[in-house]
Amino acid sequence: MFKSVSYVIKENFTNLYRIYSIAKYELLADMRDSKLGIFWNFASPAIQVFTYWLVFGIAWGRNAVEYRGITVSYLPWLVVGFACWWYIRPCITDGCSAVFSKTNVITKMKFPVSVLPATICLKELFNHFTMLIITFVTLFLCGYYPNVYWLWIIYYMFCAFMLGESITLVLSVLTMLWRDVRKFIASIMRMLMYFSPILWNCHFKSHVPFHSILNKLVKANPVYYVIQGYREAIFYQRTPLNHPAITLYFWCLVGGIFVIGCILMYKFKKKFIDMI
Amino acid sequence: MAEKQYAVEVENISKIYTLRNKNNQYKTGKKEFYALKNVSFKIERGDVVGILGTNGSGKSTLSLLLAGISDINSGTMKINGEQTLVAINTGLNPQLTGLENINVKGALMGLRKKRIQEITDAVIDFAELGDFLYQPVKKYSSGMKSRLGFSISLALNPDIFIVDEALSVGDKGFAKKCLKRMEKLRDEEGKTIFFISHSLPQVREFCKTGLWIEGGELVEMGEINKVCDDYAEYVEFMDSMTKKQKKKFLDEKFEKRLIEPKKKRFF
Repeated sequence: MFKSVSYVIKENFTNLYRIYSIAKYELLADMRDSKLGIFWNFASPAIQVFTYWLVFGIAWGRNAVEYRGITVSYLPWLVVGFACWWYIRPCITDGCSAVFSKTNVITKMKFPVSVLPATICLKELFNHFTMLIITFVTLFLCGYYPNVYWLWIIYYMFCAFMLGESITLVLSVLTMLWRDVRKFIASIMRMLMYFSPILWNCHFKSHVPFHSILNKLVKANPVYYVIQGYREAIFYQRTPLNHPAITLYFWCLVGGIFVIGCILMYKFKKKFIDMI
Repeated sequence: MAEKQYAVEVENISKIYTLRNKNNQYKTGKKEFYALKNVSFKIERGDVVGILGTNGSGKSTLSLLLAGISDINSGTMKINGEQTLVAINTGLNPQLTGLENINVKGALMGLRKKRIQEITDAVIDFAELGDFLYQPVKKYSSGMKSRLGFSISLALNPDIFIVDEALSVGDKGFAKKCLKRMEKLRDEEGKTIFFISHSLPQVREFCKTGLWIEGGELVEMGEINKVCDDYAEYVEFMDSMTKKQKKKFLDEKFEKRLIEPKKKRFF
């Protein structure tokens, strides 16, 4: 176990430049594909947010969200959660094929396979920065201005990165074993979106049966911790130190998934070529 | 000390692939197939080995095993030093320009940023692409792609080179240039080189030792000219057969490589 974890960590840290280059040039290749290039990195998430805001905020008339005595109107509340989700989601869905999409490389040259999940997460991190710019502009327009608590976003970004990296490590190996995993994840992600506090606050009201159990179950979702964290940093001026229990739970979960991913990666690192 | 002399020591290695049945399913009639069967050899340091064999005889499988990309199923393999498989067309991104691809492929091969900057001029010089360097690689002809790919691959500096039909692309002039460069590696830097090619004259000229693999098994190993002669004779013998004879011959050879599935599970 320790051998595989140290193997993966070492391989990732000795290949930092490789990870950076792969991520950078893959992004660049994506942009070269279209005429407007980087414009789409901004436009497509902006259009998404706009749609959800129109449907849920205007048409369905979702009101401001109240949490711990602070009321936040729907648009800024949505945009923060959405920014975070748009980082985690592509990390996981694209991460599934992290190894598979590089078949031509790993079958033809000696290549540290375990760095591939990190390249996906890093590539998506760039897209996340563009999304954050949209988020901040929206927040300014709604009258929210930066304070020192906003710095906690960096911590939660790291949380999201590690969550994405761990899940991707596991899923990219599983996808090599069974290609069905990718399709399964693509459909499950849609479900996960509604069970995370993105479009609604994921709080079952007291008239729903078993509401207290359901509310606890929702918190077991690691995505809940990250998205809620972004919001707490921006709106509620709270830090992870305000809720140590769920922070500890989150890191144990991520650590556990990471270890499983490392074990899988170590076990199959030379067998990928036979699985294509 | 004597042990240290060998770059590669291989003993009884086998590589087994699982075959699908005719309906493209793994479940029933699962058969296993020896890609390589009990191959043993020792290669000294600084040796230049030409690997010969007909299509599907296991040459590329052997190169993958030697490169450490694939894992052996049985036997022992000891490699002293760092090895690299020269993969020419791998890692080029068709959307990006030739110049950017030097960075892409360089990084994929694990070069540091500084090293890539160092080699860029040499690569441009060697590839002789002219202004095409600033065009996206998707617009390149296959020969130009190989030129670029091979030039970047030369930047690596391992102890053991494995070249799998890399020189059979590109025009004659470029192939000659590559061979010259490889000769420099052989003579001045004393690298161990595994050279897989179907061009017998090239192999004869370049290699010292011949290694002939047929049907997954090692047939002959020794002085290059002797092995080449025997191999040429074998190819001629194959060609002289009638269609029917040849089919029978190949089928028999294939049968020999199969491992019958164990049936004890049913009874």
